[in-house]
Amino acid sequence: MADTTNAAVMRRPPPLDPVLLYTLATLLAFGLVMVYSASAFVSVHQAGYSTYYLWHDAVNTALSVITLTVVVRIPTAVWRKISPYLLMAGLVALVMVLIPHLGVRVNGSARWLSLGVINIQPSEFLKLFLVLYLAGYLVRRKDRLSEFTHGILTVATLLMVTGVLLLLEPDMGSEVILWAVAFGMLFVGGVRLSHFLAVVLSGVGAGVLLILASRYREDRVIGFLHPFARAKGDGYQLVQSLMAFGRGGWFGRGLGLSIQKLYYLPASHTDFLFAIIAEEFGLVGVLFVIMLFGILVVRAFQIAEAARQDGDLYSCYVAQGVAILIGLEAIINMGVDMGVLPTKGLALPLLSYGGSSTLMSCTALGLLLRIDRERKAQGASR
Amino acid sequence: MTGPGHYFIVTGQTGFGRSAFVMTLMLLSLALMAVRAFYLQVLDAPFLRHAARREAIETVQQEGHRGMIVDRHGQPLAISTPVDSLWANPRILLKEPAVWPRLTRAIGWRTATFEKALDAQRHEQFMYLRREVDPRYAQRVLALRIPGVASQREYRRYYPAGAVAATLIGFTNINDQGQDGVELAYNSFLSPRRGRAIVVRDGLGGPIAVRRGREPPRPGHTLVLSIDERIQYLAYRELLKAVRYHDASSGSVIVLDARTGEVLALANVPSFNPNTRSDLDSSYYRDRAVTDVLEPGSSLKPFTIALALQSGRIVPHTLISTSPGSYWVGPDKISDVGNFGLIDVSHVIAESSNVGASKIALTTLTRRAMYRNFLRLGFAHSTHSGLPGESSGFLSPPDTWEPIQKATLSFGYGISVTPMQMARAYTVFADGGILRPISILKAPPQSPGRRVFSRTVVSEMRHMLELAASPVGTGANADVVNYRVAGKTGTAHIADTKGYHRHRYVASFGGFAPASDPRLVVFVDVRDPRKHGYYGAQCAAPVFRKVMTGALRILNIPPDNPVTTMARAHTRWS
Repeated sequence: MADTTNAAVMRRPPPLDPVLLYTLATLLAFGLVMVYSASAFVSVHQAGYSTYYLWHDAVNTALSVITLTVVVRIPTAVWRKISPYLLMAGLVALVMVLIPHLGVRVNGSARWLSLGVINIQPSEFLKLFLVLYLAGYLVRRKDRLSEFTHGILTVATLLMVTGVLLLLEPDMGSEVILWAVAFGMLFVGGVRLSHFLAVVLSGVGAGVLLILASRYREDRVIGFLHPFARAKGDGYQLVQSLMAFGRGGWFGRGLGLSIQKLYYLPASHTDFLFAIIAEEFGLVGVLFVIMLFGILVVRAFQIAEAARQDGDLYSCYVAQGVAILIGLEAIINMGVDMGVLPTKGLALPLLSYGGSSTLMSCTALGLLLRIDRERKAQGASR
Repeated sequence: MTGPGHYFIVTGQTGFGRSAFVMTLMLLSLALMAVRAFYLQVLDAPFLRHAARREAIETVQQEGHRGMIVDRHGQPLAISTPVDSLWANPRILLKEPAVWPRLTRAIGWRTATFEKALDAQRHEQFMYLRREVDPRYAQRVLALRIPGVASQREYRRYYPAGAVAATLIGFTNINDQGQDGVELAYNSFLSPRRGRAIVVRDGLGGPIAVRRGREPPRPGHTLVLSIDERIQYLAYRELLKAVRYHDASSGSVIVLDARTGEVLALANVPSFNPNTRSDLDSSYYRDRAVTDVLEPGSSLKPFTIALALQSGRIVPHTLISTSPGSYWVGPDKISDVGNFGLIDVSHVIAESSNVGASKIALTTLTRRAMYRNFLRLGFAHSTHSGLPGESSGFLSPPDTWEPIQKATLSFGYGISVTPMQMARAYTVFADGGILRPISILKAPPQSPGRRVFSRTVVSEMRHMLELAASPVGTGANADVVNYRVAGKTGTAHIADTKGYHRHRYVASFGGFAPASDPRLVVFVDVRDPRKHGYYGAQCAAPVFRKVMTGALRILNIPPDNPVTTMARAHTRWS
C-alpha cells in the first residue's frame, strides 16, 4: 500500500510554474475579451453577427491550450532530437507558401498555407523551430563558436536562405524577428563580439538597402516618420492608432467603448489590438499588459539560468530564445502601434487574433513550463 | 583565442552576464514602451483626442419637413413627403469589390456604369447612388449592410391639386424655399426650424450615438387657406374650358365669401403642373388674378351708378336719354352698341349703356367724388391679399382728368384694376355697402370694414344688378337655376402702348348670389377671346353661371327662388 502511494507521489509530476501559468492564463483570457471587443463591429459588417472572430479566436485558444498540455509532457530531449527536422519542415512550408494554389494570398502577401479548414502561417512556426534548432546548434558548437565560420557564418547563411523566402512572401515583420532572435541567441550563446557586431551591422545595412529598394516598405517607413502629414495615405493606420491611445487617456473609455475599432483603425483585432486596449483601458491597461510581458521575459530568463546551473545548456538556450522571441514580438508590436517602429504585420503574442501566432506562443510557453518542470523534477529526485 | 567575449565563457559568467544584458535590454525596451504610452495617453492626449473628435464627431443639420398647405376643410394642397437619397463613400466601397454585385442589383445600376462612376469618384467621400426614393426602398438597400452605403432624409414637395391651384399655391425650389404664390408669401411660417445634432460616426459613416446639445427639428406650421378645394377645382375646370373654347390668352376666376372676404377659389389659366414643372415658361407661374391689371369696362359701371344714387341726384327711375346711341364729348365720341332711347337708371345698367352712364357721371358727379369713390372701393391700392407680386392697379389723380376721361371712367376705361380688386369691390353690394379686407387664410380676424354705400343704395343696386343678370339684361347667361343672381358684364378693348386694339377684348363678369342674401361673390375675366364671341355675356357670364351654380350647391346654400323650383318641377312632372 505504502509502495503504491509512494509510487503515485513519485510519478505525479511537479506542479507547473504558477507565475508563468497565471500570466499566460491572464493574457489568453484578456486577449479573448479584447478580440471580441475589437472585432464585434467588423464581424457584424462582414459576417452579419458579432461573434465570428470571437468563435474563431476561442477555438484557436482552446487548440493552443491543448497543444500546450501536450508539449508540457514532451521531454526537452525529444525537441532537441527532432529540431533539425522541424526546421527543415518549416523551410519546406515556407517554400510551399510561395507556390500558387498551395499558398493563400491575403492583401497581396502569400503568408498562409491552406490546410482545408484552417490556414496556417509557417513563418510563425519557423521562428520557434529556429529557436529549437539554434539551441541545439549552440550546444553542439559550444567550443568552436569563437571561430567565424563555425560560429556565426553558418547561422548567417541559414538566415539568408529564410530571409530570401520571407522577402518573397513578403513578411518583413517575421524576417526582423527571425534575425533578431537568432542574433540574440548567438550573443547570449557566447559568439565573439567582433564577429557578432560585424554580422549585425551588415544585417542592418542590408535592411536599410531593402527598405530603400522597395517602394512599399519605403512608404511605410515614411508614413511612420510623419504620420499626420500622411494621415489620409500611408500614415492612416498609425494616425488612427495614435488617436486610440490619445482617446484612452489615463483610465480608458471603458470596455467596449472604443470608437477607433469601428472601421477607423484597420486590423484592430490583430496587429492593432494593443491600441484598442489603450483606448478602452487607458494607460492603466497598457501598463498592465507591459507588466505581464515583463513577467514572462524575466521568468523565462530565470528558468534559463536555472537550467544553465543545472548543466542543461540546451534547455537554457531554448528558454532564452523563447524569452527573446515572445518579448521581442510584444515590444515590436507595441512599438508599431505607438509609432516608434515602422508598421509591420506582427501580432501581439497571446493577445491578438491569429491562430498560428497563438499556437506558436503557447507551444513556446509550454516548452518553458516543461523546462521548469524538469528542473523541479531533478531537484526532487536529488 | 581570448577576447572580451571569451573572458566571460572562461569565468563561467558569460551566459548569465550576456543573458542578463539581453534581459535588461528587453525590460528597458518595455519600459520605453510605457514611457511612450504615457506620452501619448497623457501628454499628447489633448491633440490626439481633438484629431479623433474632428474625424468621428460631426454636427449634423436635421431637416424637418415643411408645413402643409391645406384648404379650409383640411384637404392638402401642398405636402412634403419624406424621401431618401442613397449615397456611398467611394473610398470605402472601392475596398470591398465583393459587395458590388449585391449593391448594383439592389440599386438597379448596370455593373459597368457603376464601376465607371465609382472609379471617377475614387478620391471622393460622397456620391449619390439614388436620389429621392421611397424610404422603404432605401431601408431595403440599407438592410444589406453594405459598407460605405448610407441614406439621407430629404423632403419632396408634392401638390395634390396639381395645376388647379398651382398659380395660387406657387412652388418651392430645390432647397425647399417658397418661390411663388402662397409658398413664397408664407415661406417663413411654412419653413421648418432646422434641428442640430452632434453625431458620433463610425468609420463607415454610420451614426453610433447622438451627443448632448441636440435640438430636434421643428416641422413647419400647417397653413390653412380660405380656399375650398372643391370650388377651386370647379372654378379652374370651367375657366379652362372657356379659355379653350374662346381661344383666349388667359383668364381668372375669383370666388369670395361675401360675408367674410375669404377667398374661396382663385383660379388662373394658363397654369402649370407644380409637380413636374420642368419645361414651362415662367409666365405660366403668374397669379394673374392679383398680378395682372386690366381695364374692366362695363363691369365697373355699377360703382359709378351707385355713387350717383348715393349723391341723391338720381333715383333708379330717373330717366336718361341715350338717343341716338352716341354723343360727343369734345372731340371724342361715346357710343353704345345700339340706340336704347329714353331709359331709366336700372336699364342703363341692364343694357350696359355707355352713353347713359357717362351722362350720369358728367351731370351728377365731381371728379374728386369719383376719385374718392374708386379709392374707397379699394382700387389703386393693393388688396393686401399677401400674395406675391400683387399689383395695385392705376388711377391717375382727378386734377388731371379731362371731361372725356371722367366720362370713360364711368364705364370702366382709364383705370387699371386687378381681378382681385374687382371681386372685392363687388362685395360692397353683397355685404350691405361695407368693404372688407379680403383674405386667403381661413377665418381671418373680423374687421369692421368701411362703409362705402348706404344700405338703401345697396338694396337699389342689387335690384338693378338682378335685372342686369336677368333675361332683360346683358348678363342673362349668368342665370342660375333656383337662385336669384345679381351681376354685371364687361367688355373692354385691350390697350397697349399704341392705344386700344380694335378687335381685342377683355370679357368680364362680376356678380353675387343669392341676391336676396348674398353669400358668394364671383368675378370672372377672360382675356383676348378670339373665337365664339368676345362679349362678357358670351365669354365670362357662362363661366360665372357654372361656377356659381356649383359653388352654391357645394356650400348647401338654400335657394331663394323656390317658385322657379316649383314651376320647373311642375313642368317636368306634367
